[in-house]
Amino acid sequence: MKKIILVLLLTLSVYAAPRVGDNAVTFTLPALYEESQSLSSEELKGKVVLLNLWASWCSGCKEEMPLFVELQEAYADKGFILVTSSIDNEAQSAKDFLSDVDPKKRLTSLYDADKILPKTYRCPGMPSSFLVDKFGVIREVYIGSIDASSMTQLKNKIDKLLGE
Amino acid sequence: MKTLFLLVVLLLVSGCSESLVLVMPYEKEYFAQDKMSLSPIAERAEQEGHIFLIREASAGGESSFQGGCGCR
Repeated sequence: MKKIILVLLLTLSVYAAPRVGDNAVTFTLPALYEESQSLSSEELKGKVVLLNLWASWCSGCKEEMPLFVELQEAYADKGFILVTSSIDNEAQSAKDFLSDVDPKKRLTSLYDADKILPKTYRCPGMPSSFLVDKFGVIREVYIGSIDASSMTQLKNKIDKLLGE
Repeated sequence: MKTLFLLVVLLLVSGCSESLVLVMPYEKEYFAQDKMSLSPIAERAEQEGHIFLIREASAGGESSFQGGCGCR
């Protein structure tokens, strides 16, 4: 009986959502603008990453996106990369929105048609963002949109991680 | 212990129940569409509210400040 309970607990732990301190989910996703190109999480090793899961139909996602563009511009050459992954049913919806907000394509935009990342991360809300350190470990999880006040805290955390 | 085992099995099996279907936040694209809103057009909602108020008031319903004449 003990074995059965142990197996059940292990099974449940497999389905647990990744948390702070866990390794970030590995992925390979196509670029939003160039479907022939793709980005793998392995290519992000050695950089501090903010992985943002968003959709054009999500109002909170749209609110925080201009702040993300500014953030990426500020940290362009400092070893930080902001990766946005759209889960829209149609990629064009995401492209249309980003063409207004990020016309210079500062953000690294991916397209997750099958919603692999939110399913794996078991996102309890949209948008969701994950701050990942240089070693691929999740250091912070943000559920919901990031506003101007929390952006200051986020910048402090990025600075700290860049210095590690 | 058998009871505990049965409880766990029941808990797992109950996950298959239709009543427990859960729409995750990332699956709400269709729900986010304007046409899914109860009042998709704000201006029309205000007008409909006005008409509703008049209609119900005439039947002695929601409010007593209008008598069903349609005037404000």
